[in-house]
Amino acid sequence: MHGIKRKKWTRELINQKKIHDRERINHYRNLVDKALLARDSNVYDLDSLKQTADILQLNPELNVMWNYRRDIILHIGDSFSEEHWNRELIFIMTQLKRFPKVYWIWDHRIWTLNNHPGSSLKLWKAELDIVNKLLELDSRNYHGWHYRRIVIVKIQSHSSENMSKEELDYVTLKINQNISNFSAWHQRVQVILSLIEGNEIDEKKQFFENEVSYITNAMFTDAEDQSVWFYLKWFIKSDVVKESLGQKSYLKMLESLKKNIIAINDDDIAFSGKGNKRCLNTLINIENIQKKFNPSLELHTKEYLQILIEVDPLRKNRYVHLLSNL
Amino acid sequence: MYNTERRPSMAERRPSIIASSAQYSSSSLVVPHLAGIEDPLPDTTPDKVDVLIAGTGMVESVLAAALAWQGSSVLHIDQNDYYGDTSATLTVDQLKRWVSQINETMLPCYSNAKLYVSNAIGNDNRKYISRDFGIDLSPKFLFAKSDLLSILVKSRVHQYLEFQSLSTFHTYENDSFEKLTNTKQEIFTNQNLPLMTKRNLMRFIKFVLDWEKHPQIWEPYATKSITEFLIEKFNLEPAQVNELIFSIGLCYTADTKVPHALQRIRRYLISFDVYGPFPVLYSKFGGPGELSQGFCRSAAVAGATYKLNEKLQSFDPTTKVATFTDGSKVMVSEKVIMSPTQAPRSHKHVPKQNFEIHRLTCVVEKSCSEWFTNNESGAVIVFPPGSLKSGNKRVVQALILGSGSECCPSGTCIWYLSTTEQGDRAEMDLDAALEAMEISIIRESSTDIVNDEDIVQITDNGQTVVNSVKLGQSFREYYPREPVQHLLKLYYTQHTSTPPFDIVAPSLFENETTIRANKLNKFTAEAGDNGVMYTAMPSTEISYDEVVTAAKLLYEKIVGSDDDFFDVDFEDEEEMMSNPPPAKYENAIIDDEDADHDMDADSSEFVGEMEI
Repeated sequence: MHGIKRKKWTRELINQKKIHDRERINHYRNLVDKALLARDSNVYDLDSLKQTADILQLNPELNVMWNYRRDIILHIGDSFSEEHWNRELIFIMTQLKRFPKVYWIWDHRIWTLNNHPGSSLKLWKAELDIVNKLLELDSRNYHGWHYRRIVIVKIQSHSSENMSKEELDYVTLKINQNISNFSAWHQRVQVILSLIEGNEIDEKKQFFENEVSYITNAMFTDAEDQSVWFYLKWFIKSDVVKESLGQKSYLKMLESLKKNIIAINDDDIAFSGKGNKRCLNTLINIENIQKKFNPSLELHTKEYLQILIEVDPLRKNRYVHLLSNL
Repeated sequence: MYNTERRPSMAERRPSIIASSAQYSSSSLVVPHLAGIEDPLPDTTPDKVDVLIAGTGMVESVLAAALAWQGSSVLHIDQNDYYGDTSATLTVDQLKRWVSQINETMLPCYSNAKLYVSNAIGNDNRKYISRDFGIDLSPKFLFAKSDLLSILVKSRVHQYLEFQSLSTFHTYENDSFEKLTNTKQEIFTNQNLPLMTKRNLMRFIKFVLDWEKHPQIWEPYATKSITEFLIEKFNLEPAQVNELIFSIGLCYTADTKVPHALQRIRRYLISFDVYGPFPVLYSKFGGPGELSQGFCRSAAVAGATYKLNEKLQSFDPTTKVATFTDGSKVMVSEKVIMSPTQAPRSHKHVPKQNFEIHRLTCVVEKSCSEWFTNNESGAVIVFPPGSLKSGNKRVVQALILGSGSECCPSGTCIWYLSTTEQGDRAEMDLDAALEAMEISIIRESSTDIVNDEDIVQITDNGQTVVNSVKLGQSFREYYPREPVQHLLKLYYTQHTSTPPFDIVAPSLFENETTIRANKLNKFTAEAGDNGVMYTAMPSTEISYDEVVTAAKLLYEKIVGSDDDFFDVDFEDEEEMMSNPPPAKYENAIIDDEDADHDMDADSSEFVGEMEI
């Protein structure tokens, strides 16, 4: 491993470690026992708050301590000053830096912000900066993206501004940086739905036509990347897209996507002699949709499935099953 | 003879090191910032050492540090009054002396040195002073993923140095500089690339990352040129082919063989996003000069003795006594290693240096920030074969360092040009490249043109029209009006035994050293260098990639195996905690293999699959 020193685990060292670990475990158990006893005796004061912090620093996964912590804060009531609340946010942030993927910490942050006596809009806007920073460091942390959605909803509800347009720009930026960002593509779906719902797009048809070029561009840039294909699958089946484009343009869009996907697939065959499983699966989907509008359309499903059995052996039985259902 | 005119040393520049190492007292125990080499002229030299190394160039310094940490006693000398030898970073005054040494043929392996220094540089109230500049004799940059970088980290020599990122690689084409499109993001967002080109480019980039695992793709082309391979197998367009071969691969000719070229293209791509969105780094305050000094410091910490202004008179392989020109002597129990530049006057065994590297170093009075990416101060410009007026057959490579590198004062910039072209043609190619750079920087830095009313006219309906005829004229007229001011211009030819390109083939050093080792038994009368093992002169390679390979092979010759080459294990884990290694960035080109999702699931529930 890089940067990690090799250690020779002699019997002596193992014994030392065991002794050391035993001490730590006893220490932790004592703390927890004491805290639980205090909780059961309805002790709600700053001392017990400090105890929960000590424990949560050792083990942030112990949700019962977060619950107890919240009870303590609520019981302390008004004497839990704004300064206390701010310190609580700092405590949570240091925890998040150490454990960015622990659900309970994120939960507790939301609870704290909801109960903080300060200006909600100001607090949540600060959270947006924090989450931007976090996604800069790890653009695919789904906790970050989930939290981002909550922050946006909060800001919107406190300010009555619709942030979907800015959010679409943000998502586009993140996808441009890395088109394999599944979370960003997912967020794109959410944002587009919210834009449509809020009637925020003037030229819907133009908007979705641009979206088709965006997808096509992504498909050509990396046809192996599944997030693009997932987004495409949502896109071609989405009622919002269908209605916004109108039937004629919608069918034209399907045909043009189909042509490009066939081109990619043919190119793969020319290069490696093998068809592309993502192209073939998507072609089956597109033809199935087209069939609904044009019952006389001749389907290639059987042919595609037979190739898929060859090129995607992991899912062979599924394709065999689908073939038998035709 | 010892000249005090020099650039500030690392420790003088960075008193912060002392403060920070006091704070983390543990680390100061491991690598004291200054031990040893602050006294390069000790009163006494040891009576007996295991290894004597002459020349403080890159390879020799890495070797000295590796041997010293392994436990050998090392005496490391240099005939100059500065560290660095063939890798030195020199002030203007030092450079003047260096050039006159070459022209008095006192310095082997260099020839044809011509130096022009403007009146603006001097030490008596001129605009610039000599030590404002740090000019590298063999400028290099460091790939973010490379042998040398791991050794810098492992040996902690990186603590002596400061590195800056370099992300801009330009390819000169049709009289203009094209910026590279080499990341997935750039390929995806570039509006000018046709869709199929995007696809072909991505396909190639993915392939090259682990090309050795796909012999079915490249083996049929194993003996063919990379150009043919890229065009036939990957359907790439000439612009991309040039970029891949010359800027990303840094090859010298279009007929470079496929495996060689793939290796080099890969080297660039895997270095991208290791420490951030850039492939290479360079060290501030000077390139190989700084690095060799860093390794010398490390060697000194491990117990090596340093002595500047010291030159070998002769070595007697029978008695194992080395005699220096000042009369002092040392007994060498293992080996004498020597750079060809440091050979004793009576040398007879310096290997033939069959290959020429032509260099042109030019300091211009322009910031050249137009060529740099934000917050950076360096760029690489590559002139592919046939792109220059001289009809160049080989590439000209240029490394550009601005004042942010602290190698030159604000408002100036150093251009390092080099070519592997041999003979007279080389200088013509270098001149043509210099001219192309001058025209380009004037064009790009001129703000006057847009403000010139004759050229930019606003029509009645408010539209802006650019008069292209006048614009073209303006460029032509503009050029002589304000030419680029040269503060310093230096031509020289360096000779080396390493053929262009052979840095990846260790067999080269193996053969060289074996031949030399065999010679050890054939002592020549009156030769001062009997039994001496010569190192190779720096090659054309613009990265540091050759250095570790060369040092390792020499190390193996001395120690018997390279198993414990820099097997240093600093007993200090707390320090790791307070100084965590840089965060790994996600590589935007390699996909993580996400678990495949069932395509058959009803896709209207797209959301559920992507959620937590």
